[in-house]
Amino acid sequence: MHQTKNYTAIRLIFLFLSGLMLLFIVAPLLGLFFSTSVPSLFESLQDRQVTSSIGLTLCVSALFTLLAGIFALPLAYLIARKDFRGKTIVQGLIDIPIVLPHSAAGIAVLGFISRDSTLGRFADLLGFNLVGSPFAIGIAMAFVSVPFLINAARDGFLAVPERLEQAARSLGASPFKVFRHISLPLARHSVITGLVMMFARGMSEFGAVVIVAYHPMTTPVLIFDRFNSYGLDYARPVAVLFIIICIVVFIALRLLGKKKNGG
Amino acid sequence: MLSCRSLVYMVGDFSLNGFSLELKKGDYCALLGPSGSGKTVILELIAGLRSLKKGSVVINGVDYTHTPPQQRPVGILFQDYALFPHMTVYENIAWPLKIRKIHKAEMVESVAGLAEELDIARLLERMPGSLSGGEKQRVALARTLVIHPLVLLLDEPLSALDAPLRDSSIALLGKLSKKGITILHVTHDPFEISSLANRSIFIGPGF
Repeated sequence: MHQTKNYTAIRLIFLFLSGLMLLFIVAPLLGLFFSTSVPSLFESLQDRQVTSSIGLTLCVSALFTLLAGIFALPLAYLIARKDFRGKTIVQGLIDIPIVLPHSAAGIAVLGFISRDSTLGRFADLLGFNLVGSPFAIGIAMAFVSVPFLINAARDGFLAVPERLEQAARSLGASPFKVFRHISLPLARHSVITGLVMMFARGMSEFGAVVIVAYHPMTTPVLIFDRFNSYGLDYARPVAVLFIIICIVVFIALRLLGKKKNGG
Repeated sequence: MLSCRSLVYMVGDFSLNGFSLELKKGDYCALLGPSGSGKTVILELIAGLRSLKKGSVVINGVDYTHTPPQQRPVGILFQDYALFPHMTVYENIAWPLKIRKIHKAEMVESVAGLAEELDIARLLERMPGSLSGGEKQRVALARTLVIHPLVLLLDEPLSALDAPLRDSSIALLGKLSKKGITILHVTHDPFEISSLANRSIFIGPGF
């Protein structure tokens, strides 16, 4: 009897704390939505600066997520499958962008692509200035978000029994065919989750992007710019629109991932 | 036919010191020994899934010691069958042919022939997760046989089966043996394959 009473009390406390936590997440978003009028949203939708910034943000994040995947998936696979000297250090290095302040990450990326760097000088020779370009935006987005892809894919590959890969080798498959036909399809759920997380994290990045490219403006930079120049009322509709698009894209990609995984 | 000469291998606390084996074509050899004696390791060394420290693996007069597993004329049936869970039974059996870019008509014919022979034709559209232990074993065997290996390595193939299924599997292995495939069968139970094996080798721990 006493135990049942205790259990109920704990459950109530947990429910209360959980409710507060959810409210903490939902309340600012609901506040933002309720304080934005529908006409102002439509006005933003017709604003070319807003639509082009959303297009730029989504395209650059998607492109650099796919490009990063070419390098990140082999790295994730190697970490999952091979034991090598310095593996712990490599794993630590991968997580560094997550713990860096994003403005500091932006400074680091800027040093990598500025005209003083090897890459910047090479681009300069070809007549390009990387700083302030969509390339710079993509690099900044990828730098802060690629750990999500690597870590998710690594966990996915770790969950694939090595025995299946050995069976595939003994049946005549080269290591690459084993990766393509067995390891990757079996880890696809984690890989898709990683890609979605990287894409979502990349497109919402502000701190690193604003350092390497204020113009052309990604939507997070545009929201900041409108807030800074004109105030909250001008920034709010763009923020709401971008949040709606982020949520729609996120849900669509998750559903696509689930469909590809057969539910 | 299969000649393993002075195989030396070490991993962690386990070591294999100079294991040798000579099998003629069509031999059915039982490799007996307690758990941890390295029976499975020997199969994996012959299949090329582990790299030898010393020694050689020769099949039909060709030295395969340093050949990667995918180029060895060896089929291995794992204890847990290792069926690919994301493929149907048909796709599992056809997969070794698919990666060899065998023509589709030939592939369908080969799979159908083996499925008929191993009595799994009705299972071809099923997923491995829905099969019983005995069915899984037959599918894994079909997938291995489809590449026509010269040597078939069996890792405790009967241990996970109950008595009636075990009898039918023994009959099936006997049928295969009569076809002239050289078979090396790992088991810890000497009575299990007394009717099948024409040779037996016992290895103790840390042989």
